[in-house]
This record gives sequence, C-alpha cells and structure tokens, in this order.
Amino acid sequence: MKNTLIKELKELFRDGRIRLAGGIVILLLGMAVWISSSQYHKIKQQNKISEAHERENWEDQGEKNPHSAAHYGTYAFKPQYPLGFLDKGIEKYAGTSVFMEAHKRNEAQFSPVIDQTGLARFGELSPDFILLFIIPLLIILMGYNSFTKERELGTVSLLKSQGVKSNNILFGKWLSLFLPIIAITLLLFLIAGILLSGLEGFGWGSLFLLLLVYWIYYAVFINITLLTSRLSKSSSIALVVMLSVWIVSCLVVPKATGNIADSKYPYPTRQQFTTSVLVDKEKGLDGHNPWSKEAKKLEQQTLAKYKVDSLAQLPFNYDAFRMQKGEEHEAKVYQKHYQKLRDQFAGQASTYRSLSILSPFLPARFLSMGISRTDYHSHWDFEDATENYRIITQKFLNDNFAKNSSYGDWGYKVDSSFWKDLPKFNYEHPSLNKVLEQQLFSLVILMGWLLISFLLLLTVKNKI
Amino acid sequence: MFTYNFKYELKLLLRSSWIQLLTLLLLLLFVFASYNGKQKVDKRTADITSAQTVVDTSDKETLSILLAIEKGEDLNLSPWVTPTSPINIGNQNPRVAAMPANEMAFMSVGQSDIYTHYVLPKVSGDDFALNLSEMASPIQLLFGSFDLAFVVVYLLPLIVIAFSYNVLSEERERGSLKLLASQPISIRKWVFQKIGIRMFWISIMVLLATTVAFLLNDIKSFDGYVLFFVTCVIYMLFWFGLTFAVNIQIGKSTQNAFVLLGFWIVFVLLIPSIINQVSDVLYPVPSRNQLINEMREHKSEAEKKQDQILDNFLRDHPEYAVNNDANSKSFWHSYMASQKIVKEELQPLLSEFDNNLAKRQKWVNKLQWLSPAILVQQDLNTRAGTSKADYENYRQQILNFSNEWRDYFMPLLYNNQVFTSEHFSKLPIFQYKSDKSIINGYRLWGVLLLTSIVLVIVIITYKLRTKKEYSIIQ
Repeated sequence: MKNTLIKELKELFRDGRIRLAGGIVILLLGMAVWISSSQYHKIKQQNKISEAHERENWEDQGEKNPHSAAHYGTYAFKPQYPLGFLDKGIEKYAGTSVFMEAHKRNEAQFSPVIDQTGLARFGELSPDFILLFIIPLLIILMGYNSFTKERELGTVSLLKSQGVKSNNILFGKWLSLFLPIIAITLLLFLIAGILLSGLEGFGWGSLFLLLLVYWIYYAVFINITLLTSRLSKSSSIALVVMLSVWIVSCLVVPKATGNIADSKYPYPTRQQFTTSVLVDKEKGLDGHNPWSKEAKKLEQQTLAKYKVDSLAQLPFNYDAFRMQKGEEHEAKVYQKHYQKLRDQFAGQASTYRSLSILSPFLPARFLSMGISRTDYHSHWDFEDATENYRIITQKFLNDNFAKNSSYGDWGYKVDSSFWKDLPKFNYEHPSLNKVLEQQLFSLVILMGWLLISFLLLLTVKNKI
Repeated sequence: MFTYNFKYELKLLLRSSWIQLLTLLLLLLFVFASYNGKQKVDKRTADITSAQTVVDTSDKETLSILLAIEKGEDLNLSPWVTPTSPINIGNQNPRVAAMPANEMAFMSVGQSDIYTHYVLPKVSGDDFALNLSEMASPIQLLFGSFDLAFVVVYLLPLIVIAFSYNVLSEERERGSLKLLASQPISIRKWVFQKIGIRMFWISIMVLLATTVAFLLNDIKSFDGYVLFFVTCVIYMLFWFGLTFAVNIQIGKSTQNAFVLLGFWIVFVLLIPSIINQVSDVLYPVPSRNQLINEMREHKSEAEKKQDQILDNFLRDHPEYAVNNDANSKSFWHSYMASQKIVKEELQPLLSEFDNNLAKRQKWVNKLQWLSPAILVQQDLNTRAGTSKADYENYRQQILNFSNEWRDYFMPLLYNNQVFTSEHFSKLPIFQYKSDKSIINGYRLWGVLLLTSIVLVIVIITYKLRTKKEYSIIQ
C-alpha cells in the first residue's frame, strides 16, 4: 500500500497537467482568501463606525417626547462572524441592516447584490467557491484515470503478478488523492485560523469542524471518482462521466431543487406580505387610534381594573399605556406572519433535504454555511434579536411616557440624559451546538454519502 | 468525400446512440428550464393583476364615499381615513406601478428574482429607501434558477465539448486514422468537416428542443423564437471552433477534454466572477450603512428645526403660503417640508451610489468581450427584459412617478384644499416603458468575432506546423 501511495503521488507530481491545475487552484485560493479577507475587514470596520454613529444619534436626541423617539427609531447592523470570510453563504443576498421603529417590524434591508452589476449572479471568486466547486474538480482531474490508466498502459498484469492485494492498491490510490487535498486545505485553514484568531467570537472548534466537513465532502468525491475509474472502459469515458457527475451535483441539482422548492412553497411578494400584516394589525388595537372598537374595549377594561371613572384619574398616562398595548398586539401579528414565512421555508428546506440524496454538494453547502454562521438560520437569528431589542426599546420608551406624564399630555419631553439608559444592542451569533442541531440532517446525509460511496467502492470489482 | 463523410458520421452517431441520447437530453433540459421560467413569469403576472384588483376595489369604495360626502352626507369618518384630505388619498389610495413581463421573460430569470415587479408609491415615506428588492429565500437566490439561459450559457458548451472533444483523437486511438490518411483529403479539412457535421446535427436537435419548449409554453413571438435559436447556434459555433482548435492542436482524447474543460471554467466561471470582483474594487460603492448614518443625522437635524424648515419652505414656495394662516398648519405640512429637505441634502451621496454603479456597469460592459458566456447571458437577459439595466430603468421610472405623485398632492395640501371626486379622476397613472435601446445585437456579433479570432489563431499556428502533418497521424 505504501508503495502504491508513493508511486501514485510521484506520478501525480510528474504530470504537467496536474501540476498546472494544482498550481492554478492554489493561486485562485490565495487570491480568493486575499480578496475575501480585505472585504471582511472593510465591512467590519464600516459596521463599527456605523454602530458608533447610530448610537451617538440616539443619545444626542436632546429633550424629546419618548414616542417621537420611538418613531425616530434606531438601526442595527448585522455583524459578521469571523468564519464568514471563508464561506460567505447567503450574505450577498440578505439584508445588512435593520430599522427598528415604533409599530413596525422591518426586514433587514440593503442586500449587497443590489449594488452590484448583473455579473454578480455568475458567482464570486471566494474561498467557498474554490472549496465547494473547484477542489472537487481537481480531485476528478487527479483521479479519473487511476484504474483505467493501469489498463491502458498494460500495467495491470504486472501489478497482478506482484501478488499485491487489490484492496491495498485501492487504499494506496485513495490516499494519494486524499493527502494532497488534505495538505492544501489544512494549510488554508491554518492560515485562516491565524488570521482570525484575534477576532471576537472566533472559535477553533468551528474552524476544524468546517475543515472536517470539507474533508468528508472531498472523500465522497474521491470515492465516486475511483468508483467510476474502476467501472469505466477507458480514461476518456471515466473523465466525461465524472464531469457529468460534477455538473449535476454542483450546478444542476441545486438550481433545479431551488426551482422545485420555490414553486412548491412560494414566498408572498413584499406587498402581499405587508398587506396581510396590515389586515391583521387592523383587527386589533392601534396605539394611535383611540376610537376603534378594540381601543374602546381596552378603555373600559382599564377603567374597571383601576376602579376609576375617567382616564385622567388613572395613575399613569393612558395614551402611553394604550400605545404599549398596541405595540404588544402588533408584535404578535408580526410574530405570526414571520412564522408563516419560516414555515414556508421549512417546506423548502425539506425539499432541499430530500433532494440531497442526488448531490453531496447540497449537504456540504448547508453545513458549511451553517458553521460559518452565514446561512438562513443565522440571518433569522439576527433578525429575531433585533425584533426582541425593538420590543424592549418600545417598552422602555412607553413605560417612561406612561409613568412620568398624565393623560393627554403629548407635549411631555424627557431629559436629554434619558437616552443613555437604553441598553445597547448586542448580538451574539448562535452557538456551534445550535448550528449542529439545525444542520443535523445535512450531517447525516453527508455521512450517508460517505458510507455508501465507500461501500460501493469496496464491493465493486475492476472492469477489465 | 463530403457526402461520404456525412453518411459515415451519421451512421456512427446513430449507432453509438449519441444522437438519440442528446436529443432526449436537450429536450429534457429545454422543457424543464422553460417550464421553470414560465412559472416565474406566470406568478409575476398574477401578482401584478391581483394587486391591481385590490386597488380597483378600494378605488370604487373611495369614490363612492367621496360622492356621498359631496352630496352632503355625514359619514362620521375619523380624520385619517376621510378621503377629502389629499394626504389620505396620497397614502391610502396609491397606484400600482408595475413592470409587466415581456413575452420572452421566460427565457431568463436574470435579476427578476431579486427585484419586485410592482410597488405602490405613497406620498409619505422615503423614496431613496424605496425597497425594490423582492421577498425571496436567499438560498434560492444563491443557487440561482434553472432557466433556459442557464442551459444555454452553462450546459450547452459542455454538451458540445462532450460531443466532439475527441473527433480526431478517437480515430487515432482506434487506429482508423491511418486508413483515413490514405484518402485524398487533408486532416484539417477532414476534422473541419467532421466538426461541421456534428454542429449541424446538434443545431437540428437544439432547433427541435427550442420548438418544443416554445410550443409547450405557448410563446407566440416568432422573432423571439428565431433570435433565441440563432443565439444558441452562434454560441455553439464558438465552442465548436474551440473544439476544432483543440482537436487539431492536441493529441490524446483525455488531454483534449482537460483543455476544453479548462476553457469552459475560464470563460463561464472565472472571467465573469473576476470581472465582477475587480469592478467592486475599482469602483467601490459607498457602504449603505454610511447612507443610513447620514440620513439619520439629517433627519434628526430636520426634526429639531421643523418649524424653521416649514417657514423657509413656505418662503421658497409663496404659492403655497397664500392661503395659509398659522392655525392651518398640520403635522403633514412640516413633515412634507422636512422630508424634502432631507432628500435634497442626501442627494450627493445618493448620486454617488448611482454614479459608481453606472461606472461599474460601464467597465463590465467593456470587459464583457472577454467571454462569450457573458455576452450571451447579457443578450438573453436584455431580450427577456430581466437585465440589471431593465431594473435600473424601472427604478428610475418609479422615482419619477413617485415625484409626480407627490407633486400632485403638494399644492392640494399646502392650499388646504378639499379632495374631490374630480381630483380623483385626474390622479397620475404609471405606465412602464421598456427601454428598447438596452437590447442590442452587437453582443452576438461579439461572439462571432471571438469565434473568428479562435479560428484565425488556429489557422496561423497550423500553417506554421503544416510540415509536421505526418506526426499528427502517428
């Protein structure tokens, strides 16, 4: 086995095409890392500035009515997780800032793709592109003729006459493909680790788990490549078959799955979503409308509860109290509609899962994004955090308004020092355990791919 | 010799079931892709129609209320829904500003999954923050759509490569090349004929698949049909040119496949993404976060000085001030005035976004000539009306309409006029005008040019090595 390994490695390094391909991959990877890390730092810097600026705006509001401040609102900027620089996931297509204001939950807005040219849809030269698309291709180019060449060069009979166990040859060949890939990726991840180690929130655990996912993904490709090489009549057929496998699993299946998922579980348009939220909002209490049926009901209830005859006798500002009640109703409405959206995506996700059996790319893609905290779940986690903060902020403002002013006193203003009392918005990315929980299914499918491809590789006999 | 070659090839292709297999594959790909595209178009059309229906219904209701009020009925409406207030109409009875799909939209999803196809601009609200992005699962956006443009740009070259990467090397590997060498035809001519014949067959198959796809989706545009087919043929011509070059330059089948695949990766994957990324670096768009920061500062300033802003505004617009006494100033009077100020103050930064994006686009347009994949993609997108330029055009029209809408209500608001049924019939209406100048045939000529460059290079290098022809046969 050792001899086979050494011989195969020698051959690979001698082959000019492989050297060229390998060199190009390393060069591209280097470029991708450089571009990506400079972008990462730029965005991080910008976020820091924007956050500080925004907080300044908030604290400098001067004397003001708390509800005016609620409408003025505040912004949250989505922080990047350090690993996001290796796999950008959906970042390009998801919003980067959330406006948090009274009565309204806003989605994250300004996705980077809006500010790019039409070419953005071709893909991006980023580390995840190289890791997910190009390295499998390199594996195919390195291994498509592992077995067919022995036949074509007539070395099969020589090998047989040596009395080598066929499994030893197989393992030797397998390792000769795996070791160079391990070396390249290990180097990349170590560099990434060193670059990122100083950053807040970075964990070596996540980094190595990510590396492990990629190794499993590559092992699957090595298995399929060797399997095809064993089964093919000639090298060129093996190559064409493997390229088809690559195209189907990396390009065709993800796109087709996306289309199927989307037509089975469509999202509403933005306008439809807004309208259905509005309809539900109007069914309940509107903090600004004291004449509605719901408002009258609340009025009666409150008067009864505090055993007073008029709103002015209440120990707090009833306007602010109603505003807060309205806020609570609206938050529930948003909760319900966003949940619907998530249910819709859960349907889409199940389509992705079930079609993952057609492509090892899909589970690897989802795992990689998940661990890098650049997947859809992480995005929602951020949006949920902003919504919680919005609710807290509204309560903070309304409570002050209710406590310190009397009914009908819309001219009430708080001290300019008041704004500092609102805690800052702090976001922490979901923990690795939570990510693994969400991505458990992808992990299982990827392992399934690994096991089944190994089993097939071991049981199939060379076609000679 | 040609007829002989033609018959031989046909027999060979039929016997190896290449033709049957490819026909089936192309049919499947084209039908599935066009079905996906058509589904998106149908959803888009249905969404616009239903939005229009909602507006129509609410219009009828509003009009009947207006008429009732004009007759002197007291409906006891709360001040923020009564349609006699112009601002209420401006906010609660918006028009649908829609961008309907053109007939060829099913060909290419392009940017249509990112942007919305109808908005309802209102009098209040910031139009610089006008959200034209559509609600979509980012996963779907990340993976992209399986549409005809994808099949043509990405998969068709691969089919061409798989179909003809080894026309010469196969003969050599089988040993039949020596027989051929005894025939009265030069190798170059023979490979050329062979590739030409394959090109002919694949074009027939693509024509068949296109026809089926267009018929199934009930697309009636004959021009669109012909142009789509021509685009496919021209693009395939480039790839056949490349396979021809590789076939006569390089020896073994696997080497050919290697090199051709390399070309595919470079033209389809690498060049577009590198151009895009470099455009990012060369013409950086200011961060949107920065826009937010500035907007916030201006807003908070404006809020603090609201009364002063309104005074200044009325001084600048004496026509509005005429009928005003201090008591009739409402929240809306100062709101609209300060919003206008904020918008004007942000204008430099906003135009920086637009300018840099335009510069990027210009740069990308210059470099698109480096890759036939970009040319064909852009060509299909523009004809489907789903290119970036189309959505930019739509955005500009929306912004204009938004201004027109606001301008319609401003005098009514500042003159404290009552909104009547007569005003209602004169509301501005949005009509999307597609910009035909976006569609441009020069891209296809560009692909032809690239093809001829490939062929010229082949001929020159081949001329230089003609003497070695014997060695090719070996």
